[in-house]
Amino acid sequence: MDKNEVQQRVVRVTCQVLGVDEDMVQLDSHFVFDLGAESTQSVELVAAFEAEFDIEMEEDAALAVQTVGAAVDFIAECLE
Amino acid sequence: MATTVMPELLQPDASESTGHPLDGIFRPRSVAVVGVTPTRGTVPYDIFYNILSSGYTGTLYPVAPGKRSICAVRAYRYVVDIEDPVDMAVIVFPADVVERALEQCGRQGIKSVIVISAGFREVGPKGAQREQRLKDICAEYGISLVGPNCLGVINTDPAVRLNASFARKMPAAGRIAFLSQSGALCTAVLDYARAKQIGFSKFVSFGNKAGVTEIELFDYLHRDEQTDVILLYLEELRDGRGLIEAAQRVTRGDNAKPILAIKSGRTPQGADAAASHTGSLAGEDPVCDAVFREAGIIRIGSIEEMFNAAIMYAYQPMPEGNRLAIVTNAGGPGVMATDAAVSAGLSIPRFAESTTASLRASLPAAANLKNPVDVIGDARADRYTAALEAVLADPNVDQALVILTPQSMTDIDAIARGICRIHEQAAKPIACSFMGAADVHSGVRLLQAAHIPHYILPEWAGDAMASVQQIRLWRRQPIGQPTLLPVDHQAARAIIDSSSPGYLSEDQALVVLEAYGLPIPTYRLCPSADEAVAFAEQIGYPVVLRAISPQIVHKSEVKGVTLNLTDADAVRGAFDRMHHHLASVAPEAEIHGMLVRGMIPDGYEVILGAKRDPSFGPTLMFGLGGIYVGLFKDVTFGLAPIAQATAARMVRQVKAYQLLEGARGGARADIESIEQCLVRVGQLITDFDRIVELDINPLIAGELEIGNAVADVRIRLGD
Repeated sequence: MDKNEVQQRVVRVTCQVLGVDEDMVQLDSHFVFDLGAESTQSVELVAAFEAEFDIEMEEDAALAVQTVGAAVDFIAECLE
Repeated sequence: MATTVMPELLQPDASESTGHPLDGIFRPRSVAVVGVTPTRGTVPYDIFYNILSSGYTGTLYPVAPGKRSICAVRAYRYVVDIEDPVDMAVIVFPADVVERALEQCGRQGIKSVIVISAGFREVGPKGAQREQRLKDICAEYGISLVGPNCLGVINTDPAVRLNASFARKMPAAGRIAFLSQSGALCTAVLDYARAKQIGFSKFVSFGNKAGVTEIELFDYLHRDEQTDVILLYLEELRDGRGLIEAAQRVTRGDNAKPILAIKSGRTPQGADAAASHTGSLAGEDPVCDAVFREAGIIRIGSIEEMFNAAIMYAYQPMPEGNRLAIVTNAGGPGVMATDAAVSAGLSIPRFAESTTASLRASLPAAANLKNPVDVIGDARADRYTAALEAVLADPNVDQALVILTPQSMTDIDAIARGICRIHEQAAKPIACSFMGAADVHSGVRLLQAAHIPHYILPEWAGDAMASVQQIRLWRRQPIGQPTLLPVDHQAARAIIDSSSPGYLSEDQALVVLEAYGLPIPTYRLCPSADEAVAFAEQIGYPVVLRAISPQIVHKSEVKGVTLNLTDADAVRGAFDRMHHHLASVAPEAEIHGMLVRGMIPDGYEVILGAKRDPSFGPTLMFGLGGIYVGLFKDVTFGLAPIAQATAARMVRQVKAYQLLEGARGGARADIESIEQCLVRVGQLITDFDRIVELDINPLIAGELEIGNAVADVRIRLGD
């Protein structure tokens, strides 16, 4: 899967879980500061990414990811 | 457009600034809650909801990225998106993004910020770095910061009605301000106070105090017209000197308000490791006591005790003196109350004849007409009110305590109403103790609603009244600027500047003390026995020999002192014996010679100490000296430099003062001279930053004609 596709799917999942419009989501968007993620939603996001990409992410490392761009990189690495 | 909470009350008085920098925290015209989420039961939501529902009279803006509204109020993505000026922001984001939010507040021109979030200094070095960054941003933008890691701020002033906290309920308005470093304690206190119908003027949880501290809050509350009493719960005291100055301004002079404080976190600091007595005794807590004493802050042991005293002060007039009248329907509790009151420092006066006559006219023959007045178990409201009116009118009475035990014929509510009626007109303080729980409940509620202090136990009433006495006496107590006595600064500097870190040798330390006017007996450092004998002949016998070596700090442990040498042979013999002995027990010690001096006449042994404390700066200690220092720990502390009046107070604070005064037929010591010595030691450690610790132990305090003399001294220098 190329990185563009990863990015599109990460953005889509982020919008679904956090209930935000797609135009709000940029690569440098901070899940909490820019998109308003609550702590429980961070856990939901990790689970949704795992389901979307059929991967398993190490939980602490995944929760430490703070921006959409960092999530794209993290997931792309997991897929390799 | 932001939604206004109460359109008809839009910013009526919140805009009326008192001109204080903390107006933005307590009287903001508009508040943004930054990081709100829509989930009920979370701190971000509850803070927003509390402000909204408490009837805040200003304008409220939720900043909630990704949300259109919170509680039907239009939300903003960032604080910088708010078009109107914002006076205060309450940041509720998680710790790792607080910095970004604070930076945006700075850019938006917001000068007052409360950071509720935890995860800063209290969690370790990483959190401390995060907190430092908040401080940097506040410094850059000139922001007053409350928190982080706090519950928030409440202002019950009807013109503002701000509950910017996550406390469950807005407290009632009252005359007491409560400041706390612990957020969790705040919620418990609010609950406790509500049950006792105690209201608050301001309620502040200031957490890690990265910005606003108790010192700035004292200043604000001193000017606050809604506040009569300030209560403080403190875990950490960083600026003792600043606290003293700020608190003295509040607790004395015009518009004086008492400060009652609980200081927790009593941590002894390396007592075992410290080499000097002062070092081991001058831990944080005793010095904190000294700071509070000098500041006029009444230190209290528990929340219960704190409120007991606060309601007495807040809702009753200041008594003229400490004379207490007790009215009771039960002999036992009356005696208990008398014991407690006397132990707390109150007096139980005899009544004037007119009072006794009045009591006789209204009470049955079996009643006790003396203080405490016993109106007898079957007393109803008429007897209570007659007795209370009579004792309050007595010129020998400054305040009254009414004790009630619920007996079958006791009309509790009627008695309570009678007391309330008298209270409305009374110029003297009244307190009550309706003993029991269920039967007296409604009567107690009547008293509390009328702001008559009620205590479950009469002893508590005694303690509360005694605290008010402390406040009264503090206001009369002289304080003054540090006393500066003439000293030879240069002579002391010559020794200190030329010495390496560590202990000064005794002869050097004596030069320093002498330069600062401490009473030093004539002495000379003699490198040989011949010189020692020659000097002894010159000053006269008997003499003392003291070994001088940079490596020997505790002379007596290595037999480095010989007393009472009465002739030349004794001096020569002792000189040689000491040299020989030291060569065997301390072979590494370089012996510079023996210090020869005359024997000091008998007197009381006291200790004068000084220590440079990392938090408080130079501190002073005074107490019973000699070998009893560690055993009895009869010592007191002060912050140097001190005024003569402070020295006088310190000397009188120790139990050994009675000895110095000549208790049990002993001679009276030259106390004024001891006070001067304390002032001089304070001046010395203040003048020389390199002095880390100083012990004069003992100073022999002789009687007036003989005077005092330094018998032993240690001075340790830092880098």
